[in-house]
Amino acid sequence: MYRETGAGSLGPLATQDDATLLLLVQKGDEAAMALLYDRYSKVVYSVALRVLRDPASAEDVLQEIFMQIWRNPDGFTATRGSLGGWLSVVSRNRSIDMLRRKRPTEQVDDMQLASPYNLGDEAERNSMMEKARSVIFLLPTEQRKTLEMAFFDGLTHSEIAEMTGDPLGTVKTRIRSALSALRKAFKA
Amino acid sequence: MNTTQHFDQDDLALFAMQLLSTAEATAIVQHVEQCSDCRSELASVQGDLAAYAHTVDLHSPPAQARERLMKQVAREKKIVAISRTATSEEPVRTSTTTTLGIGSSYLDSYDEQERSFVSKFLPWAGWAVAAGLAVSAGVLYNQRSALRATAASNAGQLIRLTADAAAARQLLDTMNDTTAMRVTLQKPATAPVPQARATYIAEKGALIFIASNMEPLLPYKTYELWIIPADGHDPIPVGTFQPDAKGNASVIMPTLTKGIEAKAFGVTIEDAGGATTPTMPIIMAGT
Repeated sequence: MYRETGAGSLGPLATQDDATLLLLVQKGDEAAMALLYDRYSKVVYSVALRVLRDPASAEDVLQEIFMQIWRNPDGFTATRGSLGGWLSVVSRNRSIDMLRRKRPTEQVDDMQLASPYNLGDEAERNSMMEKARSVIFLLPTEQRKTLEMAFFDGLTHSEIAEMTGDPLGTVKTRIRSALSALRKAFKA
Repeated sequence: MNTTQHFDQDDLALFAMQLLSTAEATAIVQHVEQCSDCRSELASVQGDLAAYAHTVDLHSPPAQARERLMKQVAREKKIVAISRTATSEEPVRTSTTTTLGIGSSYLDSYDEQERSFVSKFLPWAGWAVAAGLAVSAGVLYNQRSALRATAASNAGQLIRLTADAAAARQLLDTMNDTTAMRVTLQKPATAPVPQARATYIAEKGALIFIASNMEPLLPYKTYELWIIPADGHDPIPVGTFQPDAKGNASVIMPTLTKGIEAKAFGVTIEDAGGATTPTMPIIMAGT
């Protein structure tokens, strides 16, 4: 015997945090799923679009990721930290996989993620975006370009070294320095 | 695995971005499983990358993407089993009570040996029933999984077919639209090439020359036909001609000396009235 469950006793959905919404999704609550989509679809789609540069493919990635949440919400709860952060990184990884025409890499999707921000809160999310953008804008051009080539274009450090003519070590250092600058800014 | 030799942030960042070889990535996975320091650092790197991902210019997905997702969600509606509050002992107790309730009148008439037989094998019968139910449940679960997989596959196929049908409909609509602009494209036409045919009987001095597609000339110019004698003498003028508006022209039976064997014929452009020697170039020639 089966039954469907709803959000009835948990108050207005829009004010619920990610963990509560995931719990409701786990119980088959479609309204909670819609709310998670409304909360994070923009960033997931934008990251995919930046990597793939093709709206139809970006939409496929968006669909795939949110259906993964619907089918297996247990995989996101508690241990993963920020759902918004996790979704943005997974969107990038899935898009790179699509670019390379390879199957999704489970071992990297199955990750812990530490974020000092609550990306479920729109105001906090916007604040984090602004801060991250300003940090990246102030980076030396080489660092910014190198991180962009690695993250958004999916180029390996060897490929970047070959394209820019820089030594491998320099490429690695630039990536690390750029990420360190981000971390430092958020800790400040 | 040596957990004391940690991976640095460079490698963990490359790992997090899936930019390492399979062997390198595997080594990190194995190490991180056992090393809490590297696990913690990797989580921080993932957090850094998440922050970086949020620097992207934001674009809203198309409205139909939400609709598409929610339709798919509805298709894969979850069914959650009601959690029964009964303890595992209850069915046994109920079963026992029932058995005893029914059996008590019989038991009064049976001897102690039969009672012993019943009490010995009845519990096993319960286990056998439970095992049978477990097997049935397993079979049903597999059937349900297979049906769900088939349904998901069919749903995907339906989406593809719907998209194909929409594309086909759009194609037909475009072809049948009366307001559509219709243009036929072809290779640009080239100017027709001037051509002429000469029929000549040397011994009779008879010649018919008919030309077509001749370009118009300036008023003080004229075409002139020449016979190039086979004996090597100078070209002999046959006559002048002007093409009409359609580019057609002819020289019919001009006065010619009989018996001049022709090696070739040629046409030149001369001043009005003609010339006694051809002016180069020869614009048409034939042998």
